[in-house]
Amino acid sequence: MNEETGTRKGPEPREAAMDARGAAVIMQQARERAGSELRVRRPLLFVTWGLVLLIGYGAMWLSVRGQRPYDAPAWPTLLLAFLLLLVALIITAQVVDWAASGVGGRSQMQRGIFALAVAAGFAALEVEKSAVASLGASRPVQAVLGIAAPPLAAGLAFVATSALAGRLNWARLILGLWLLAVAAAGAWGGPVTALAVCALAGGGGVLLMAVIEPRLPRS
Amino acid sequence: MREEELDQAIHVPARLRIMVTLASLPDGDDLSFTRLLDVIGLTPGNLITHLRKLEDAGYITTHKNGSGVTARTAVALTNGGRAALDHYTSVLRELLDSASPR
Repeated sequence: MNEETGTRKGPEPREAAMDARGAAVIMQQARERAGSELRVRRPLLFVTWGLVLLIGYGAMWLSVRGQRPYDAPAWPTLLLAFLLLLVALIITAQVVDWAASGVGGRSQMQRGIFALAVAAGFAALEVEKSAVASLGASRPVQAVLGIAAPPLAAGLAFVATSALAGRLNWARLILGLWLLAVAAAGAWGGPVTALAVCALAGGGGVLLMAVIEPRLPRS
Repeated sequence: MREEELDQAIHVPARLRIMVTLASLPDGDDLSFTRLLDVIGLTPGNLITHLRKLEDAGYITTHKNGSGVTARTAVALTNGGRAALDHYTSVLRELLDSASPR
């Protein structure tokens, strides 16, 4: 451990005396400090991704709700969704990197598995979409698959990784199940309804999780 | 119950902060020396000395990964360390309960 200091041994620190009350205060302060430094700020991530779903899907929904028959969302709304996605990914990377810097072990592996699950899920669904298109599926069918795929992939990844490292992550489990329900329910109503469900129920649910998550038990 | 019954390896402000910080990580995780330095706010020399005392008590382990500029020293709480902190916390709670007016 001395490569950071260049010394073999540090000076003997002065050990200040403390009573039981002082010890309790120090413990509380250390817990709060460790929590703010080393815990991923999930509410911030929930707000970020909730807004992405609400605004991204919402804008696309507003652009298609008058279409008879269904064609496709207006390109500016697709661009907006892409930009929101990009911003959310950058914010997520920074928030996670801030908390995870210097932390190694099982959590590091868990984060890697989660990222792999999301990336693999999205890649597989893109292949599915291409396959469905090449088989001659109609535009609405392709659109439903494209709209419901992101919450489906994210929901599966959340549920699958909610109990890694021997701890149940309630926020991840509840959010995963909710996103799966959103993906399934939205698909039944066709592409226009799917966009509305993903925006309102999906985005709203994720935003709500920002409020609920701090109150959930940490097991 | 008296304050002398508190584990003296932990009952020092800096070591208590180190133990609580490491205990805030999930089981199986470790923290780099440099990040621990940031979170605790000690000088490197002081931190090394306190870590050594906790290591001698069997409450933490340190291990070095890599070599040269990529070397990383990681610190982790042992199972014994987690149990010792739990015991310290319950003794502290009893002390505070017995001291508070009923």
